[in-house]
Amino acid sequence: MKAKIQVVICRCCSEVPALLNTDRLAMLATDADMVVSVKSVDAVCDGKDLAGVMGEAKEKEVDRAVVLACHKRDVAPALLRAYKRAGVNEFMIKLVNLREEVVLPHQAQPERAQAKAEAMLRAALVRSVMLQPRERQTEEMRTNNVVIIGAGVSGQAAARAAAKAGAHTVILEKTGKTMKAPGVILPHSQLIGAKGWTGNYTLTIRVGEKVEELEAAAIIVATGGGWTELKGPLAKAVKDAVPLYKLHERMENNDLPKGPVVVVDTPDPAGKTLKVQDYAWDDTLETVIELKKRAPSTEAYVVFQEMRAFGLNELAYKEAADIGIRFIRYDKAGAPKVDPKAPAKLAVKDFAQGEVLSIPFGTLVFASIPPNKDNEGIADALRIPMAFDGGIRRGSIQRGPVETVRPGIYVCGSALFPKSRELAEREGEMAGSMAGEFVKTGRTSYGGSVAEVEQEKCSACLTCVRTCPYEAPFIGRASKAEIRTELCQGCGICVGICPSKAIELHHYTDDQIMGEARSLLGGDF
Amino acid sequence: MADRKPKVIGFVCERHGMEAAVLSARSGKQHDASVRLVEVPCTGRVDGIHLLKAFEDGADAVFVFGCLEKNCYYDTGSIEGRKRVGYVKQMLEEAGIEKERLEMFNAASSNAWMFPKAVEKMVEVAKKLGPIEKGGDGQ
Repeated sequence: MKAKIQVVICRCCSEVPALLNTDRLAMLATDADMVVSVKSVDAVCDGKDLAGVMGEAKEKEVDRAVVLACHKRDVAPALLRAYKRAGVNEFMIKLVNLREEVVLPHQAQPERAQAKAEAMLRAALVRSVMLQPRERQTEEMRTNNVVIIGAGVSGQAAARAAAKAGAHTVILEKTGKTMKAPGVILPHSQLIGAKGWTGNYTLTIRVGEKVEELEAAAIIVATGGGWTELKGPLAKAVKDAVPLYKLHERMENNDLPKGPVVVVDTPDPAGKTLKVQDYAWDDTLETVIELKKRAPSTEAYVVFQEMRAFGLNELAYKEAADIGIRFIRYDKAGAPKVDPKAPAKLAVKDFAQGEVLSIPFGTLVFASIPPNKDNEGIADALRIPMAFDGGIRRGSIQRGPVETVRPGIYVCGSALFPKSRELAEREGEMAGSMAGEFVKTGRTSYGGSVAEVEQEKCSACLTCVRTCPYEAPFIGRASKAEIRTELCQGCGICVGICPSKAIELHHYTDDQIMGEARSLLGGDF
Repeated sequence: MADRKPKVIGFVCERHGMEAAVLSARSGKQHDASVRLVEVPCTGRVDGIHLLKAFEDGADAVFVFGCLEKNCYYDTGSIEGRKRVGYVKQMLEEAGIEKERLEMFNAASSNAWMFPKAVEKMVEVAKKLGPIEKGGDGQ
């Protein structure tokens, strides 16, 4: 059967004709083989123009289209839906970004821009003929469970947001602490294994002594930060140093510390320096200000190397200074140590003045949040990558700041990297509502532009199995590689790396890419 | 052949790479019209044969433009892409073609300045080296 191509040229109001000769483009399209319909419209993003295009598409019974418009993020959703109603498969539409690739960056070179636009149209026609229709499959979710690992600040916020979106939440908490959160809370429970894919995960959890299975549509990792003890020489001298959250807890129970309070940034001042973001500075400032306000006679010191409060929280610097909290900055050479002359005092060399200050420490508090030690086990069970500093690594920021590389698994709060309570709560809300919205749809879809193995060519060398970031390829019954369509994200890394050239990525085959490249290189430059 | 225009082709990933290119266009940055782009889902999809065929089809310079390695949309895609560019460079050298004709660039989608810079560099290389001399037949 011969292809029937529709070519749509969007004038983008008047931006395109100001530089290019759209009539010449239309003529070129009309003269091309297999093109049955050419439409020039003012704006393809306008409903009326689009309806006209679709009317002609239906009338001429086109089966594929080349659309010369702007960036596909802007036009694709509405355009693909309209073409779907007109009976054209979404994978049979080739979008050409005329606006951002030709019109905007080549304002000063109209002739060369025209040549480029024509080459792009020819290449798109070549590619269009090679396209194959593809269908996306959908699968029912077996459950509407959102499983949240960790019942800290971000975990609770995530549970509230997910429940609000209509999901059933299950919180796994390692300790036995009680809290108010919607859904089911399983104290003394831990995640030990997981299988399945987006929308249909089966988790293995340990509750108390029992091992159980739990179905999950989405998973949120909210393990938070871990808390350590003092290290290095300070640890020998100071016995009752507390992490910041302990101080906060005591203050909530009206147990204000007696005597001076010294907040040190890291539990090991002389050792390895953490990154600036690894300290809960927002919380430190907030807690110390609250302490000073409730007990104005308490001497409060903040000893730090670098301080960076988040956003408008910087205003807290001034507030703290105004009510008499003393800030002492040190560098590594002048790290705080126990004063050799007076064992109940801390000697710090002030970075600004160069003087060695001797301050009494009644209660020593440290403000850093090291990564949670459980992250490793959880990352291993869920098969998601970890960051080099011990947190969970998020996927590309484009997928979303709270998503991991595996769709359907979210991460929030200090599990990513240390952050303040407020920020952790916001992130929890974000992860929770994303998971909730996703679960509410009730269906997961996959397929379309995915990889497929040509079994005869496969030599089962395991290269694809080792390379795929999503663990989609596996060695099947026939001792040949196969791709799990449900897991495939359509990146094509396995296709490029396969030494036997046995894998093909639908919609981006070698022929299609090379055909387009060859056609682009032909003609005038 | 003073007025011969250089031919540059870029394989651009449709995630950060294309976003960066689009953002540079939208922020009014201009670049040479000698460059044509092929969109691929990920730079990891770029195969050695695509790059070599592009040279065979007459490109003076070829570049691959993808996500930052630590923030690739497909996790390890741009690292794989760089490896592939590396070995094609080696092949070019063995075939007696200057390896500067092929380059890999990385950008985050907000790095609008990266794309014109990459194009400028490749156009410069293409202008300096001229077309690839094909053996014997004087083309």
